[in-house]
Amino acid sequence: MKLKPATLRTFTSVHSWVGLVAGFALFVAFYAGAITVFQPDVQRWANPHATPSTATLAEAQQLLDEVLAQHPEARDHVGMTFPGYEMAQPMAYWQDSDGTWLFASPGNTAGSPAEPDVAPLPELINELHYALGIPRAGTWLMGVVSLLYGVALVSGFVIHLPRLAKDLFALRPGRNLKRFWQDTHNVIGVLSLPFHVMFAVTGAVLCLLLVAMLALNPLIYQGQLMTASSAAMNTAPTVAKAGTAAPLASLATWHARSIAVAREHGDAAFEPGYLKLAHAGDAHAVVEITGSSPRALGGGSVALDAVSGAVLATQLPGSRDANHATLAATYALHFADYGGAAVRWLYFLLGLGGAFLFYSGNLLWIESRRRRRQAEQGRAQLHMARATVGICIGVCVAVSAAFVAAQVLPMLGWNVATGQRWACFGSWALCALWAARRAPVKAARELLWLAAIVTALVPVVHGIATGWWLWRSAAAGHGGLFAIDMGALAMAFAFASLARAVARRARRDQPNSVWAGTVA
Amino acid sequence: MWARASAGVVPGFFLAAALVGLGCWVLPGPWQSTIVAGLVAFFPVWIGVICAAFRFPDGKQAWGWLGALALLGLGLLWLLQMSGWVR
Repeated sequence: MKLKPATLRTFTSVHSWVGLVAGFALFVAFYAGAITVFQPDVQRWANPHATPSTATLAEAQQLLDEVLAQHPEARDHVGMTFPGYEMAQPMAYWQDSDGTWLFASPGNTAGSPAEPDVAPLPELINELHYALGIPRAGTWLMGVVSLLYGVALVSGFVIHLPRLAKDLFALRPGRNLKRFWQDTHNVIGVLSLPFHVMFAVTGAVLCLLLVAMLALNPLIYQGQLMTASSAAMNTAPTVAKAGTAAPLASLATWHARSIAVAREHGDAAFEPGYLKLAHAGDAHAVVEITGSSPRALGGGSVALDAVSGAVLATQLPGSRDANHATLAATYALHFADYGGAAVRWLYFLLGLGGAFLFYSGNLLWIESRRRRRQAEQGRAQLHMARATVGICIGVCVAVSAAFVAAQVLPMLGWNVATGQRWACFGSWALCALWAARRAPVKAARELLWLAAIVTALVPVVHGIATGWWLWRSAAAGHGGLFAIDMGALAMAFAFASLARAVARRARRDQPNSVWAGTVA
Repeated sequence: MWARASAGVVPGFFLAAALVGLGCWVLPGPWQSTIVAGLVAFFPVWIGVICAAFRFPDGKQAWGWLGALALLGLGLLWLLQMSGWVR
């Protein structure tokens, strides 16, 4: 395809600017997101009771009964996870009269605003991923970042288009560092393009869906979107209360019915995950059971009459309508909720590759503005180098610090949720401050060594705090625990290798650069 | 640059809305069955319009064309909806 030089120039500057603005946020989102792929495993790893046995349906029934008896608000609407869905214990949740979500677990049915028996580590990493840890507005910010990311993908693809086929597998190391970074950036960008396109779209949907619905409702849906969207997104029909009392069927009945109904629809591997129950105690009580279907893109759900157990509606893989198929696919694609462990590892690797894509973009920007014939470099390049080092390497330190804190703080008897936030955001801020005051190459080397050390501590503190050293996890067959500890060691090794590479560059390579050891 | 970028974002938003709306309403079947697909498609369509805005030689033309197309698209959609030709 032939493009006018002017168009190519415009798209190059669009790509640079959008990349610079969104790149930092995307680095954080991809680094934290790669770890969030293993959220249930991180939950098990961070929980002091590393291997609790899964609760029974009878225990879940008791939890539901107690919650419904003690909390009248829960009778209107209550949600509950089945034992073994993400956590070994079931958990019930509902909104009290002023809209606050309350949570309950077996033996803890008073209703607390914090999720019981849940380690705060996975949620912290997840917040970094979807909101950079910024409450409320962070999600919208990341939605805008997703849109900018989409623009960067299109513009990057367009400027690379003329040389796309020729340079696809070119990776030219050597003295021309700009060409080397360009090759690396292009090869990762092109080969993982479908993955990135998917994340730009699903990321924007997850962050901005409600805003988009509010904006588009009067424009193209004649103001009827909000009433119509309930049927498009839920499985259970909206039913009015009958006003007459009737006892609920048992949890075991719903569980068995949903599996049987899914089987009738050809979904043999349906595993109930969580339920939504409306109008408990009324003759028109409705229960919607959502489950996973390992062999489909996104799970399905079955809505039952909660009293008689009769089927009201289904949205199961293979027989669901376009709305539910699209919604399930959007979620499954974003959350790697299909294809089992192989897909999750693929997401993890592509996620780290994505983080590197944004990092290499910044390096490329600096390298293409380098003054080769003089030691003095531009202020903008220097600031960019400092920011790249401080924010990107800093967040790697911060995430590992949060992992270490998750194991160390319970031993000290401190508040884990608060302490872990301080460890994470405190270490991140210190790293950024350190990078702002040092020569970029020195800061990069030192922060990479720091990242290596803190990450190497992750399996050590886990072993000390819980006794689950990696060889013991491996011997007992706890693959998730073993993989996290082993993954931390591999990452520590990678950080150390990068630190050595940075030191080599400062020593040997080209002196006229922001990365030269002499730049202050 | 800024003028074309803002053209992609502001009138581009309404143009993307019109394109998605026309797609969802003109397709056979009730509009309700394309709600989620339309909402998901809106984002890549908007991104596409923002990128296309940079192909105009200057901001004035970008604002003019995208604004006119958005008005035309939304006008056509509203006409079809009011007249009951699409549902």
